Amino acid sequence: MNRLFYLFTLPWVAGFAGFTAFPLGYAFWLSLTNTDALAPESRFVGAANYAEVLDDGLAGEALVRTLVFTAVTVPASVAGGLLFAVLLQLPVRGRSLYRAVLFLPAVVPPVAGALTFGALFDRDTGAVNVLLERFGVAGPGWTDGPRLPFVIGVLVLWGLGNLMMVSLAALADVPRDLFDAARVDGAGPLRTFTSVTLPLVSPVLLFQVVTGVIAGLQTYLPALVLGSAGAGGSLAALPEGGYFFMAHVYTRYAVAGRFGYASALLWALFVVTLLCAALMLRTTRRHVFTLTSPGGARP
Amino acid sequence: MTHLLLFLSCALFLAPLLFLALGALESPAEQASPNLLPERPVWGNFVRAFTDADFSERLPTSLLLAGVYAALTTASSACAGYGLARFRAPGSRLVLVLLALTMMIPGVITLLPTYLLFAKLGLVGTYWPWVLWGLGGNSYIVLLFRQFFVSIPREQEESALLDGCGHLRVFWRVVLPQSRPALAASAVLTFAWAWGDWTAPLLLLDADTTTLAVALTTAYAHEPGHTADNLLAAGSLLYTLPVLALFLVAQRYLTAGAYAVRTG
Repeated sequence: MNRLFYLFTLPWVAGFAGFTAFPLGYAFWLSLTNTDALAPESRFVGAANYAEVLDDGLAGEALVRTLVFTAVTVPASVAGGLLFAVLLQLPVRGRSLYRAVLFLPAVVPPVAGALTFGALFDRDTGAVNVLLERFGVAGPGWTDGPRLPFVIGVLVLWGLGNLMMVSLAALADVPRDLFDAARVDGAGPLRTFTSVTLPLVSPVLLFQVVTGVIAGLQTYLPALVLGSAGAGGSLAALPEGGYFFMAHVYTRYAVAGRFGYASALLWALFVVTLLCAALMLRTTRRHVFTLTSPGGARP
Repeated sequence: MTHLLLFLSCALFLAPLLFLALGALESPAEQASPNLLPERPVWGNFVRAFTDADFSERLPTSLLLAGVYAALTTASSACAGYGLARFRAPGSRLVLVLLALTMMIPGVITLLPTYLLFAKLGLVGTYWPWVLWGLGGNSYIVLLFRQFFVSIPREQEESALLDGCGHLRVFWRVVLPQSRPALAASAVLTFAWAWGDWTAPLLLLDADTTTLAVALTTAYAHEPGHTADNLLAAGSLLYTLPVLALFLVAQRYLTAGAYAVRTG
């Protein structure tokens, strides 16, 4: 029996060793050296790279921008997903069509989504500015400056269909008789939502928030696609608003070739991510309601 | 009231795609002007978008990489999920913990050092990384399969074992045929990931070997800093449609678990 467990899980374990554990360890080793794409020799420099990370004003700014972006977009999209799920639970006509349409953008590949929003928010020809013009407002440049995070935030909200689907499934799992009991006890729709629905779906919401924050902290793709379009296709000249933490790491890695220093930045982000996840799981322990044993329906 | 809210939201959610479709039909003169409706739709844009981004080369590449990655990831993740659902051994708890931990690690953190690893192995510029990534499976998909296997009854497997079938045969002949929904969900999701992936092909492949996702972001910049927006829109649509069709076809297999997986 033991043998069988190892046999079946061997591919994943090998993949974990090769593509998760090794890269992380390798990055940590690199972060202690001054490895550079241009310099032939690298040597051990101890914690010097980490000291530079703490001193790196760009990294600090990028981290704050990323944290603020995550703190705004994650709750907004989880709440939005839940709102649509609750509305689609009601017996409205055509709700399967509504559900399909709201889910559709979540399927659009990230690059295509970013390019679409690039066109939509274009300064001269984008629909947003054309409409603003009709109301007599001169639309600003959206993607070439500090407003870029706003565009990316809207892009993230556009794709909340996944979250809606998960919340819909969670709502479908709530036992019907609890709603009936709440009605018999005289609870209105709002009271039923806050006292019955919300506690029962809270584990799923927590899961969405945690995975959302992990994904949010590594936001870079729309920033690179939208930002570099504005900067004539050059990653080295990302507009200020596109400077998310991971975009900073990416430019250090791929553009500057400073593998050692960029690895230290990677590890810094890794630690920040783990701290955020641990903090969220810790602080919500008392507020998240679990009906079944943990390890039940939640992965 | 509910209807109005849902209707307006749907209109808002569809608007970007509608704008993309209209933009794809604009003439070169119109694409630089602030009008929304093209006077006369230029269907030829789709042909030009196809040739300019070298779809005849890039499309097979994207199909190949996404197909290989999806098939291998599904196979290896199903194996691991089955191992976790049915067998206990020293270390099986550790494997579960590592799975959960892997989900906490932003994928791009490991991608950059993995790129250096592939560079050392001489695999940059080849399609082998996708084969290796596929063989290694994916934590989300492993958990998807584990949840699925835990939920199906064991009787058939046990009677097949009593009949003298080996465990591998039981997995292949008895378990997998019952697992169509999980297999389909896994195949669709992993295909869509690889299809949508931009960073890995950008890092690992060059202009002659890369995927559609990368070609799309570079092909229509005819002069530096100036992009043919109508062709870009047409190309984006052509690139998006296959995944839309795939999700539409596979919709009934995508259960809540599958959606939960995609949020990561």
